[in-house]
Amino acid sequence: MELALDVPRLRAVPTRAATPAPTGETSDAELLVRVGKRDRAAFELLYRRYVHSVFGLALRRLRDRGHAEDAVQEVFAAVWRSAGSYRPERGPAGGWLYTVARNAIVDRLRRSGPATEGELPELVSPESGPDRQAEESHTAWQIHRALEELPPREREVIELAYWGEMSQSEVATFLGLPLGTVKTRTRSGLARLADVLEGELL
Amino acid sequence: MSPDFDEIVGTDDGERERLRRVHELLVTAGPPPELTPRLERTPSTQGSVFWLPRVPAKHRTTLLFAAALVVLAAFFGGYGAGKIHRSTSPESLLSLRGTATAPHAVASLQIFAKQAGNWPMTLTVADLPKLPSHAYYEVFLVRNGKPYLSCGEFTVDGGSAPLTVQLNAPYVFQHGDTWVVTKQLPGTEKPGPTVLKPV
Repeated sequence: MELALDVPRLRAVPTRAATPAPTGETSDAELLVRVGKRDRAAFELLYRRYVHSVFGLALRRLRDRGHAEDAVQEVFAAVWRSAGSYRPERGPAGGWLYTVARNAIVDRLRRSGPATEGELPELVSPESGPDRQAEESHTAWQIHRALEELPPREREVIELAYWGEMSQSEVATFLGLPLGTVKTRTRSGLARLADVLEGELL
Repeated sequence: MSPDFDEIVGTDDGERERLRRVHELLVTAGPPPELTPRLERTPSTQGSVFWLPRVPAKHRTTLLFAAALVVLAAFFGGYGAGKIHRSTSPESLLSLRGTATAPHAVASLQIFAKQAGNWPMTLTVADLPKLPSHAYYEVFLVRNGKPYLSCGEFTVDGGSAPLTVQLNAPYVFQHGDTWVVTKQLPGTEKPGPTVLKPV
C-alpha cells in the first residue's frame, strides 16, 4: 500500500537521523517540547517524573483518592493536548506543569462541589490558611519531583530514614549494608536534593 | 518522628546549613503518595481518548480483578503450573510485581472462598531477595491506599524456585481493598517498605 506523505518537494532537506529516545539526562523542558511534537517516549518519561507530584498535589487538594486519580488523568491529558504551547524561554517546565496541574485540579474541585469537602479525614492542618496550604502544596510538589532525580539507592535510604521512621543503624540492618555506606548514601542524597532545589526552595 | 539530622550529616559538615534546609523540607513535605494500580501505567495517547475509559468507582475493583485474572492466567501457565495445593478454585486472583526495592520479584495471590469469617489465601512468589537475619516479609491488606491489616509473614531463602505460602485474612473486605508485601524489621510493627504491589 502506498502512503500519501505531505513532504515538501522543492526544498532540499538534509538527511537527519531519527530523534534519539529521551533518557534520564533529558531535561524537563526538552521533554515537554518533544511531547508538543507528539513524542510518545518523551511523554512516558515526563509522566514517570511527575506522576507522584501530581498525585500528591491532587490528594492534598481533593482529599479523595478516587477524585485525585481522575484529576491525574485530566492533568496529563491536558499536558498532552497543550504541550505545544510551552515555550522554554518563558520559564521552566516544572512551573508550566505545576500551573497545568493546579488548574486541572481546581476545575475538578469546582465540579465536584462542596460535598467533597469533609468526606475524608483532613490531610492539611486546620490552622493552615489557603495561602499557607498553597505554599505547602507547592513545596511538597517540588520535593517529590526532586526525589525522582535521585539514584534509587540514595532515594531508598532517604525514604526509609524520613518516612520509614528508622535510625541510620536500623536502615543499615534493614538493607544489609554497612552503617557507613548508609550514612554516605543519605548525605549524598541530601546534597543532590539541595543541588536540584537550588534556586527554587534554597 | 523526624530523623536525627546530626546523625545523618554530622556536626562538622561544611554544607550543614544547606543540608539542614533540605532536611526540613523533607520533613514538611511528607512521603509522596503510593500510586494506584491505574496510575502505575502510563496513559495511552492514541487518538483523542486518553487512558482507560472512565469506570464508575463501584465497578473498578471488579475490573481490576478481571484484568489480574488475565495476567495471572499467563503467570500460572508458566511459573505456577501444578503448584496450587488447594482443591477448590480461588474466588479471586491478584498479581503483584516488585517495586524498586525488589525489581525482579513477581507474585500471585489467590483468595479462596470464605470459611467462618476467614478468607484463606495462597501467595506464590518468585525472585524476592533473601533478607538479613531476623527480617521477614509481611503481607498486608491495603485499605485507603495504606497497609492496614496483616495477613501473614514469611521468609525466602533466595533460591530461584517459586515459593508458595498459605495465608489468611480474617477480615470483612471493603470496596477498594488490595494487598501488598512489605519488608519488616524484627520488633517493628509499622509496615516497612513495599516490595510487591498489585500490577
